[in-house]
Amino acid sequence: MRLPKFSYFEPVSLEEAVSLLSQGGSAKILAGGTDLLVNMKHKIEVPSALVNIKKIEGLDYIRTHQGAVHIGVLTTLKKISQDPFLQEKIPALTQAAASVGSYHHQCMGTLGGNICQQNRCKFYNQSEWWRSTNGPCLKVGGKVCHVVAKQENCFSSYCGDVAPALLALESRVVVQTKNGTKDMALENLFSGKGLAPLALQSGELLKEIVIPEAVLNGRSSYAKFANRESIDFPIVGMALWLSPEKKEYRAAFTAVDRRPLRATSVENLLNQKDLTEDLIEEAGSLAAKEAQPVKTSLYSSAFKKKMMGILLRRALKETERGTQS
Amino acid sequence: MKKVIELSINGDLYEVLVSPNQTLLEVLRDQLGLMGTKRGCDLGACGACTVLINGEAYLSCIMLALDGVGKEIQTIEGLNQTKDLHPLQKAFVEVGGIQCGFCTPGMIMTAQAILNEPEKPTEDGIKRKMAGNLCRCTGYKKIVSAVMSAAEPAGEEV
Amino acid sequence: MEHELNVVGKRLPLHDGVPKARGTAQFTDDITFPGMLFGKILRSPVPHARIIHIDIEKAKKVKGVKGVVTGQDIPDRQYGIVPKARDEYALAKGKVRYIGDDVAAVCAIDQEIAEEAVSLIKVDYEELPAVYDPLDSIKEGAPVIHEGVQNNTSMSIRKEFGDVEKAFAESDFVYEDTFYSQAVNHAPLEPHAAVAQYDPLRGDFTVYSSTQIPYFLRRNLSSTLMVPENKVRIIKPKVGGGFGQKIDMFAKDFCAAWFARETGKPVKFVYEREELFISTRQRHPMYITVRTGVKKDGTILAQQFKAYADGGAYNSTAPTMIALSCYFLMIPYRVPNLIYEGHHVYTNKPVGGAMRGHGIPQARFAVERQLDMIAGRIGVDPVELRVKNSIQAGEPHPAKFIINTCGFEDCVKQAAEAIGWKEKRGKLPRGRGVGIAGASFPSGVSNMSHISSGSVVQVGQDGAINVLSGAADIGQGAETVIAQIVAEVLGVPLDDVRITAADTGTCPLDPGTFGSGVTVRAGNAARLAAQEVRKKLFKFVAKQLGVERDDLAAKERFIYVKGNPEKGMSFKDAIKGYQYDNQPMPIVGRASWFAPSTEPTTLFKEDGNFAPNYSFMAQAAEVDVDLETGQIKLLKMVTAHDCGRAINPMLVEGQLEGSVVGGMGQALYENIIVENGQVMNPSFLDYGFPTFLEMPEIGAIEVETDDPIGPFGAKEAGEGTQLSPAPAIVNAIYDAIGVDFKELPVTPEQILEVLEKGGKN
Repeated sequence: MRLPKFSYFEPVSLEEAVSLLSQGGSAKILAGGTDLLVNMKHKIEVPSALVNIKKIEGLDYIRTHQGAVHIGVLTTLKKISQDPFLQEKIPALTQAAASVGSYHHQCMGTLGGNICQQNRCKFYNQSEWWRSTNGPCLKVGGKVCHVVAKQENCFSSYCGDVAPALLALESRVVVQTKNGTKDMALENLFSGKGLAPLALQSGELLKEIVIPEAVLNGRSSYAKFANRESIDFPIVGMALWLSPEKKEYRAAFTAVDRRPLRATSVENLLNQKDLTEDLIEEAGSLAAKEAQPVKTSLYSSAFKKKMMGILLRRALKETERGTQS
Repeated sequence: MKKVIELSINGDLYEVLVSPNQTLLEVLRDQLGLMGTKRGCDLGACGACTVLINGEAYLSCIMLALDGVGKEIQTIEGLNQTKDLHPLQKAFVEVGGIQCGFCTPGMIMTAQAILNEPEKPTEDGIKRKMAGNLCRCTGYKKIVSAVMSAAEPAGEEV
Repeated sequence: MEHELNVVGKRLPLHDGVPKARGTAQFTDDITFPGMLFGKILRSPVPHARIIHIDIEKAKKVKGVKGVVTGQDIPDRQYGIVPKARDEYALAKGKVRYIGDDVAAVCAIDQEIAEEAVSLIKVDYEELPAVYDPLDSIKEGAPVIHEGVQNNTSMSIRKEFGDVEKAFAESDFVYEDTFYSQAVNHAPLEPHAAVAQYDPLRGDFTVYSSTQIPYFLRRNLSSTLMVPENKVRIIKPKVGGGFGQKIDMFAKDFCAAWFARETGKPVKFVYEREELFISTRQRHPMYITVRTGVKKDGTILAQQFKAYADGGAYNSTAPTMIALSCYFLMIPYRVPNLIYEGHHVYTNKPVGGAMRGHGIPQARFAVERQLDMIAGRIGVDPVELRVKNSIQAGEPHPAKFIINTCGFEDCVKQAAEAIGWKEKRGKLPRGRGVGIAGASFPSGVSNMSHISSGSVVQVGQDGAINVLSGAADIGQGAETVIAQIVAEVLGVPLDDVRITAADTGTCPLDPGTFGSGVTVRAGNAARLAAQEVRKKLFKFVAKQLGVERDDLAAKERFIYVKGNPEKGMSFKDAIKGYQYDNQPMPIVGRASWFAPSTEPTTLFKEDGNFAPNYSFMAQAAEVDVDLETGQIKLLKMVTAHDCGRAINPMLVEGQLEGSVVGGMGQALYENIIVENGQVMNPSFLDYGFPTFLEMPEIGAIEVETDDPIGPFGAKEAGEGTQLSPAPAIVNAIYDAIGVDFKELPVTPEQILEVLEKGGKN
């Protein structure tokens, strides 16, 4: 399957990248390419220009600064997954990175690319010919969502593994804009809208992720439930962070909504409390209510909701015990 | 708009005329006649197109040829530096880790990437890192044996 | 049997392992010719429709396009595996019958232009109502998929042996259960491909094709192109897996040849991965109802089967599939009274074809699952039940099979022992369980219209041995096995033998790689041809040494007198001497081998010996079911296979191991999901067959029974292997959680559902 044609740029600075990305037309960022290039072969993303940001220096790093962890967006998933400091302090992140796709995807894929991946749907992630059977769906400019035949809404799902881990770790993202950088909580990056999953203006791109010092002393884990143990996207992914001393809990899910989700009701239920069997059970039931998954994949929503609770319960038991899967 | 680029492949420099929308796999096979790297799915889900980029395992079907500039690209054709088989190739042949042979170049290149990593490979680690290489013939067992046997320190650099 | 063996029976690497490891082995897509054009097929996006009009004008005008063809341009010739199954055109004429049906093709100077041009072909379809379930398809009033085919049922078979009603009446218990086996895709790593050339002066086609049966392809191309068969030459390059999916002719073969003739250029077609999932072949989904009558000690008295195979839009290998599905219910167990009613039914979906086991895995799933259920109901151990009912070699068979060797009982016992049956069955903690299942497969089958296997062995002045064989090696190692057989007969190492195979222009006829017959058929042909060479050479050597020809033996390049191994001459000297004795060189041996059978099957004629010999197998599985998530992990599978004699134990092991993972995929991971006629998961990502990380612990046991018909006692070991892993796994799931699943695949979602309802105990 051939890629469609595009103009190609290799900026050497973030400013240059922003300028190229905001020049009208539909330019997209090329980092690892493992998501975008597949979508381009399927002709569901057909940018007029690709802005290859891998020549920009100074975006590939893992460092601490005033206690917080800073990771550049071009750091590969492999590097993140193998970093001993991250493995010790925030295993949710390294486990999530190690669970993405296959080893090759982790060698090629970047932190920024994985976070900003396009949403997915069984009617969307298909070749141009395949999609001609049902006509264009809402996400590719058609009039109808083929999953739920409503006109205004696209129900495509966010399926990235790394984002829920970062959400549970209270991460912030630094975004390069036309006017310098801005910093925001990672959850604000996600619009919750299937049509345009990222809440970024034209020309904006991610620069780095910051994980606050406060989470480094907790325990965390990422659980990925998928058909196989490699290559696949999650059916449900769940990240958990907790601090037994402070009795604080954060949980986030992926592949159950248009964006990665903080399970806030679950967190409210658990915060300040000791974990008992009953409480864990209750949290599991509540988890299922956090999202309204829609059947954008081959797996039913009912099953996904069940799995949300199961993964949460299991993670609570194991992370609390200090025995992570 | 096509442009001329220089690619360093298996230690040799090639000047090629490419379009931005050509993948490295297309350039290797269609322009350079390096047919050893295979196209199994063209979408990055089977590993048959594995090449090494600066010693790391990459899926050449979802990588732009332009992204190969300035890197050391290694394909199956460049694995053995002498007239003899590379120890990995020898192991695959002798242990029976090959049936139809279509996944084999990708398997061997990924195995080489694993051997390039600093830690000594374990059976679990090999399975985990090769899981992106699909095989429909062997059931994987003899491939694991082949990689393990090539990974044994025999006094040779692999 | 014979003396000691020196090459046969040895673990030897593939003769072409080195090029495969180097990446120099040439597959069809690796072939290029100067000026070669590239093709792409246009496929139907609708499941059932009349083709009203195809507008190719825009496509033709794209710069770089050299040809466009539609069904209207090609001869009115349907093709198929046997005359009564011919229901498919190379490109659809008048009507499309499934999403993915071949409608038109383009060839151009490069792939990108071909893709662009194909997307510019506009087809006007008049959509027709479509039907997706065979049980709906057979009803009155269902849309007619092929004109003239009643109830959309293209093939039916009804076979009756003995007196089933009487036997049911005499049974202590009669049980009836219905099972379902899903659509599975072969998913070979190498996509289907063809490269064709045409010589206009000679009127000759040369087609390189990733195919399992060059001779069928030749016949089908000749027929659909309307050229004499001797003007079509098929050359099989290395094939990257087939498993049955590359048996038929496909549009890529026809269109490559067509355009080669029209344009005067070499033309290449290579399918995209999604085309393999949608537009090639898949395993027939089947509904099977089994009724079994047993005595209270578990002896089977009678069985009655009713099967509906979901054939998809065309026949492909329907006649054989439905026959195999039937006849292989009477083996490995003694079933003295049997009724089988099987129907191959059209639906507007992807086409069912031969897939490793070819109708038998589905039937086996039903039988083996029910056997276990019966074992549970009457309180007999599943292993004992199987052993009790096992056929024995030499016993008379209701369908007149001649079973010279049968290691089934041995396979069952060894598999059970290796899994730890006695210690584990019914005794493991909840969530863990073991299961067993068994099967039998025809070996060396060549029914499908009277095709023999030929071989020529030549030994030249240089002492090099060249074997010509029609055998199609698709990765299973057929060429290596044949070379080993020849090497054994001539007394030389494997490395002295070269083999040229599967080129219809130069190699003898062969039925191809299906029905797991290559070792037996082509192996026997090669053995006989080599023996002719041996006879001629030994006649000369005997004269030199002053002994009788039968006094001689040979090994390691030395021909010697039996009992007096010092007395002899080297192979090299023998050849030289033969030549200087003015004997014609090269020394040629030529033979054909035809399965001694009365071919009852494809054409549903009278009963008789189905195959020259039969392999037997049993798998024992241990599973772990995660009671929280429903995930099923196959921890270990032991497969015991009676292959007569393993010509190359390493290659046989490779087949057994590969089948375990394939069977596991079928049981737990794989499913072609179709919604409204559309395959929803036509990719390696979404059709998730097992990776390294799903691999269980695998034990492969080769049981040798030394068959009189097979070369050196060999029987098949390539297809039978994948008949019973799936039921073994599902039987183990029963042991683990007390639930009987009757449909494949078994998924975590189903496990959770069933556990929630309390499970069954």
